[in-house]
Amino acid sequence: MAEKITIPIGPQHPSLKEPACFTITMEGEKVVNAVVGLGYNHRGLEKACESRTYIQDLYIIERVCGICSHAHSTAFCQSLEYLAGVEIPQRAAFIRTLVAELERLHSHLLWLGVGAHEIGFDTLFMYTWRDREKVLDLLATLCGNRVNYGINTPGGCRRDLNDEEIAMIRKAMNELEEQVKYYTELALNDTILAARLSGIGKLSHDDALRLGAVGPVSRASGVPDDVRAIDPYAAYGIVPFKVITDDHCDVFGRAVVRVLEMQESIKMIRFCLDNLPSGEIAAKFPRRIPAGEVFTRVEAPRGEDTHYVRSNGTDKPDRVRVRAATEANWHAVRHMIEGDMLADVPIIIAAIDPCYSCTDRSFVVKDPLTGKDKQMDWGALRQYGIDWYRKERGVDPSRIPLPGKRFY
Amino acid sequence: MTENKIDMAAMVVDDPVVEEVKVDISREETIVARVTERFPYLLGTLTIQRPGRIISNPLQREHFEEVLAYLISEQSFYTFHLVIGVDDGDDLGFIYAISNQDKIVFLLKERAPKADPRIRSLCDIFPNALWHERELVDLFGAVLEGLPPGPTYPLPDNWPAGNYPMRKEWNPAYFDNKTMTYNPPAPKNTEGGAE
Repeated sequence: MAEKITIPIGPQHPSLKEPACFTITMEGEKVVNAVVGLGYNHRGLEKACESRTYIQDLYIIERVCGICSHAHSTAFCQSLEYLAGVEIPQRAAFIRTLVAELERLHSHLLWLGVGAHEIGFDTLFMYTWRDREKVLDLLATLCGNRVNYGINTPGGCRRDLNDEEIAMIRKAMNELEEQVKYYTELALNDTILAARLSGIGKLSHDDALRLGAVGPVSRASGVPDDVRAIDPYAAYGIVPFKVITDDHCDVFGRAVVRVLEMQESIKMIRFCLDNLPSGEIAAKFPRRIPAGEVFTRVEAPRGEDTHYVRSNGTDKPDRVRVRAATEANWHAVRHMIEGDMLADVPIIIAAIDPCYSCTDRSFVVKDPLTGKDKQMDWGALRQYGIDWYRKERGVDPSRIPLPGKRFY
Repeated sequence: MTENKIDMAAMVVDDPVVEEVKVDISREETIVARVTERFPYLLGTLTIQRPGRIISNPLQREHFEEVLAYLISEQSFYTFHLVIGVDDGDDLGFIYAISNQDKIVFLLKERAPKADPRIRSLCDIFPNALWHERELVDLFGAVLEGLPPGPTYPLPDNWPAGNYPMRKEWNPAYFDNKTMTYNPPAPKNTEGGAE
């Protein structure tokens, strides 16, 4: 009988609302119990919003998350627009959708890189992050910022698109399409990746529903929930797209969903550019909002973001409640880790696309009864996973052949 | 290029514009009709805010629990999104967002007096309610009956007891985060003393 080892992973990281500490109990190679500890960096944003005006709050809300910032500001603006009864111009709705899809593209590319890094496929990590820079350059040109775009304002958008920018986006999309095609082929057909990713981090369809998983995690378990389709907002009621689902129910499925979603995003961005309505980009918005309450959902790259805003007739909200996608997926993570091997823990945690570095410190502490303590940081755990698969299973993603030609 | 920037000050006006939107809400109406038929005291208290949103008035605990049980068992509201705590003056409000297979979100509200904010934990029905309910304990001082033991969330371990920061009367200006103490202006000074 193997000795039991308890491993706390985490928690500190300043970027996400919910940094996490995973305390993992092992029996040999197998995880028998995982306890998720949250709340290490609660910033009190909701309380802060109550004492500031709606416009000031927008800047706080946009900083809930660095990657999904547009999703949060869209949700907040939509809440305010509903409460004030203001309808945004069509052009603004299209620009919001366009930026949201660019955000999804950069977030999924980032995830693909991080996921590849965790399994020791660093070349793919370099490829995807290079491609992500393309998207970030576009966002910086359109919005003035690489993240925290500041494009949303209650009533519409703050910046318009001109022909030069549209041409720039089209050119970048053509280049990215080639790359994404290659990633799709890799994700769907490469045997080494399949050997490394399939069958780990299992989350059945029923468990995804029961544990309230959202976004690509639930869609990879065959749950066709995508707020863009079930509760359309901005221009999503007009822009055609396919809700990507997969029935692998594991990390492999989550990779497939994200890669195929990138293809959809590129199509949607092209549609937005082709059908961009002319006219105003912002409607007049009142300073004070009549009393009311609204519950808004937005599909962030990581899943469903929900916002609740209650107004009281003044220029400040009475209550703002934000629930980010990662907060909904923690419950599923615990379930996914249990029963799997320590070597799979990094990629399983990475596969929900949390704000990843929140798990960047980990320590292995042996049971005090057995004496010796051993420490292992996140890098060592990652290396352990890579080496274990190379040695025990003969799976080495760094051997995956890469295309001979450079796309750009 | 310079015209791309919007002057924020020019956009702000004082009178809100309210517009009516015509939409199909037959599925929501069916649910409301069935729920009010079963619980006549809910008559006139359920609002269909827009497609996919039904909102209730705050209910007392006994009523809340029976309505929730009915919604889950008879109306298939199986998905729990989150619970939102609100400060309603002398009461604490709890807004549960649950949805069914048609993706209709029901905001079912519960109310408990601040003096004795006891509510039932839903962790046995919805396992993903755990962190949201722990948040109610820490931030609002609610007492969740049946909440599984575990770490506090989201406040730090050395947070002073009896301080519930999301309650309206709690002012972050009086909190000293070096000593982790809450120092409101002298209590002998009657209300209105804050400067």
